[in-house]
Amino acid sequence: HAAEYNWRFANLYSRGTAFGAVYEDLAKNIEVMSNGRIKVQVLYSGEGVGSSGIFGAVKTGLITMGAPFQSLNAGELPAGIVEIGLPGGTDDVGDLSTLFYEKGWAPILKKAYGAQGLVWLDPYIQPAVYIITKKPINSIADFKGLKIRAPGAYGKFLRNLGASPVSLAWSEIYTSLSTGVIDGSIGSNMIDHRDGNHVEVAKYMYPLPLAGAQVLPIIVNQNAWNKLPADLKAIVKAATAVHAQEQMTKSRLWESQAVADMEAKGLKWSPEPSAADKAEWKAAGAKLMDEYAAQDEYSKELIDILRKDQASNQ
Amino acid sequence: MMMSIEVLTGVLFVCVIAAFALGAPVGLALGGIAMAIGYVTWGDALFNVIPTTLEDTHFSFILLAIPLYIYMGQLLTRSGIGDAMFNASQMLIGRVRGSLAISVIVVCSMIGAMVGIIGAGIMTSGSIALKPMLDRGYDKRLALGVIMAGGGLGILIPPSIPMIMFASSTQNSVGRMFIGALIPALITIVLLIAYVVISCKMNPSRAPLDVVPENPPTPKEKLLTVRDGLLSLLLIVAVLGSIILGIATPTESGAIGVVGAIILAILFKRFKPRMVQKAGMQAAMLVSVAMWIIFGASVFSNFHLLMGVQSMVAGFTQDLGWPPIVVIMMFQVIMLLLGFIIDEFIIVLMCAPIFTPIAVSLGYDPIWFGILMILNIEIAVQTPPYGFALFYLKGIAPPGITMLDIYKSITPFVMIKFLVLVIVMMFPELVTWLPSQLMDG
Amino acid sequence: MIMTAIRRYCLGVHALVAFIGKSVSYLMPILAFVVAFEVFCRYILNHPTVWAHDTALFIFGYIAALGGAYVQQQRAHINVDILYNKVSPRMRSLFNMISFILALFFVLLVLKMSFGKFEEALEFNYRRQSEWAPHMHHYWLMMSVASGLLALQLSSDWIEECYHLFTGKQFLPDNIRDTEENAQ
Ligand code: NA
Ligand code: NA
Repeated sequence: HAAEYNWRFANLYSRGTAFGAVYEDLAKNIEVMSNGRIKVQVLYSGEGVGSSGIFGAVKTGLITMGAPFQSLNAGELPAGIVEIGLPGGTDDVGDLSTLFYEKGWAPILKKAYGAQGLVWLDPYIQPAVYIITKKPINSIADFKGLKIRAPGAYGKFLRNLGASPVSLAWSEIYTSLSTGVIDGSIGSNMIDHRDGNHVEVAKYMYPLPLAGAQVLPIIVNQNAWNKLPADLKAIVKAATAVHAQEQMTKSRLWESQAVADMEAKGLKWSPEPSAADKAEWKAAGAKLMDEYAAQDEYSKELIDILRKDQASNQ
Repeated sequence: MMMSIEVLTGVLFVCVIAAFALGAPVGLALGGIAMAIGYVTWGDALFNVIPTTLEDTHFSFILLAIPLYIYMGQLLTRSGIGDAMFNASQMLIGRVRGSLAISVIVVCSMIGAMVGIIGAGIMTSGSIALKPMLDRGYDKRLALGVIMAGGGLGILIPPSIPMIMFASSTQNSVGRMFIGALIPALITIVLLIAYVVISCKMNPSRAPLDVVPENPPTPKEKLLTVRDGLLSLLLIVAVLGSIILGIATPTESGAIGVVGAIILAILFKRFKPRMVQKAGMQAAMLVSVAMWIIFGASVFSNFHLLMGVQSMVAGFTQDLGWPPIVVIMMFQVIMLLLGFIIDEFIIVLMCAPIFTPIAVSLGYDPIWFGILMILNIEIAVQTPPYGFALFYLKGIAPPGITMLDIYKSITPFVMIKFLVLVIVMMFPELVTWLPSQLMDG
Repeated sequence: MIMTAIRRYCLGVHALVAFIGKSVSYLMPILAFVVAFEVFCRYILNHPTVWAHDTALFIFGYIAALGGAYVQQQRAHINVDILYNKVSPRMRSLFNMISFILALFFVLLVLKMSFGKFEEALEFNYRRQSEWAPHMHHYWLMMSVASGLLALQLSSDWIEECYHLFTGKQFLPDNIRDTEENAQ
């Protein structure tokens, strides 16, 4: 029989990819747990909405549910950049969890997304962001003058270290690394570096991650959400919690597989950074906090909590 | 009103054919049909597909190659540099029938090596080479067909955006794809040239020989022709060089070409501010023509995708019990049919992840399958009635050239490309041999 | 009297659209210059700009969208003219009237949605997601203007076709489309 609610759920991955399958599982879980009352059609990369359009499409109700990547809609929701994790932030899952659920990030984000007609559901964690370069980075000084493809906050972070961030289309990274238009590029995670074949044209991975962990939300259109009875709302929430767990366990595994794949193709690591390098790396991240706090009200609230948290840890 | 995706696809198809029959503007009609049928089946929430599609279309750094290369082409034509290029190559090849068409294919291959998308390839080649051929009395079908066939090489000769997309969505090596494409590209070029030579021999009126001038050119005049030709060739070398030396990305290299064309025009003493403006006017119109089509067609295909046409395609490929080569052939047919509704990038995004694992599990080489996909897309966008390449070519053609002329002009060339597809399908080594020699050493 | 007013309206639309269309052509060299400048800054000065990428995309969007009305005026939007070329001129007018209604419907939707996005962009201070983060509102305003102009031109063309269908005569002077730029 026909479902009571027909949902469309968009994510950023291609059909048939490992991550794509995890979102597919979330959709199936919602269907099974709701006993078929909600039917979820999964839309993959390029299927009806572009990657930077997911946020806007859920907002307007064109699609019901989305798994956006906040950097791609930073222009619409600046606080998303703080949510995903400013460069230099923590990668400790326990710390992140208390930050969101005990120290007050979750209510602020619910408000920030709510102001745009979006329901913010349980976030999930994806692996770290790393930089791949054509030449080894022996010390932070080697970043000086390097042209690195790094959008938004990551670009600003690298500029603080003396590098020159470059804007390029994703599909031109490979050619640009190969011809030397750029000296390096970030990837949204190790899996992205592998799938982009970057190791064919750049051999060195820098050991310090730009962001240790990325926290991504699942968002639902407010009107569609309001139409659900309380029991179905609880079911969707429960399914996203299960999804967060699956992301955590599987993405760790895939990250290590991606690294192994790339190492088999000749990936090398730049030498272990010195203590001074690590300190400089951290300082470059700290500078960003002021900048982002000044830009937007919600970002400021989040960063204030983060600062208080860091002060109390010391 | 609920409609199954199969019924919806049928309804959309009928409406598109009706709108085409009425001679409606393609992009606007596709957008209008999608929105009207979408309103009936979905409601007004569907209209929100318009802003997201607009942003995707206008903020695509890849599509930026279209205005830059078209403008370069227009500057070359209006400054007479394009003519100089062909005059010189005419003189070098000598009085051979169809020599201009041959040099057009060679120039198109070089442009193909610069650009990574089909639109920029066809519109640049058309800007530079169509007029010289028509002026010299070439058969218009031969002229149009050569432009289409040559311009389409943009995605077969590296760098190629669809190849990069294929490699990343199936986790294959881009380098291998680029190298694997070289032999099929060479075969295509050779077959195209052979066709031009043979068809001009059989039907000499298609490609008139240049009239012998009453006073044969003096050595000095000959020298000037060669000098101008070499200078204009230098532009192509500079643009290609900027890509290979890592100065610019393939998209940006169009801007290098524009600057180079202006410098050349100054050297040739043909530079006039008016020319820059006129070339700008013509280029802006062509860009607008192309982009309103891309936008309207994307609204159409986004609607169709949101309704789930990709699940229908994925459904076709399940529970197959057929011989492997039949499966591969069926994939080719599906992709050709998809060329009816969607553009080259979405075909790759949609079909590469669905089809490639199946092909690999049947024992085929993924790079080979990827090159088949690229060859297929080249054909799909050129086959009537709906194909982006057809519309690009009509946009660049002078008034008076009808769509029927275009359909007829491309027929032999599409058959050649189809022949290449079949040859590559029969002999996978044509793709796999070169990468294994160069990369597994 | 009414006819004169309608004719004035059409001529006014033509003049406005032609003016905007010709102005857009000056953006072409600027676009090429911006991209070339970025290459220069990155390769020669080793110091890429933060603004060239978005600026180039904005100019590209402006050219692509704003040129649409002028392209319609020159009847240069691509169509499949196989049956269209075989029918009588008055039948062709009928065909055009149907096509232009379909096109008008779409373009008015683009206008409505773009203007909605413009208001939203103002309310939420929408920007590009890049480091430079320029405002988005002007783009949506431009899209509203571009689709509005295209709608005006389509309405004028529809009136022209309607007049031709019923009288068999031209509504506007012959030379209105014979601009130099369009002549090959
Ligand atoms: Na190419
Ligand atoms: Na086609």
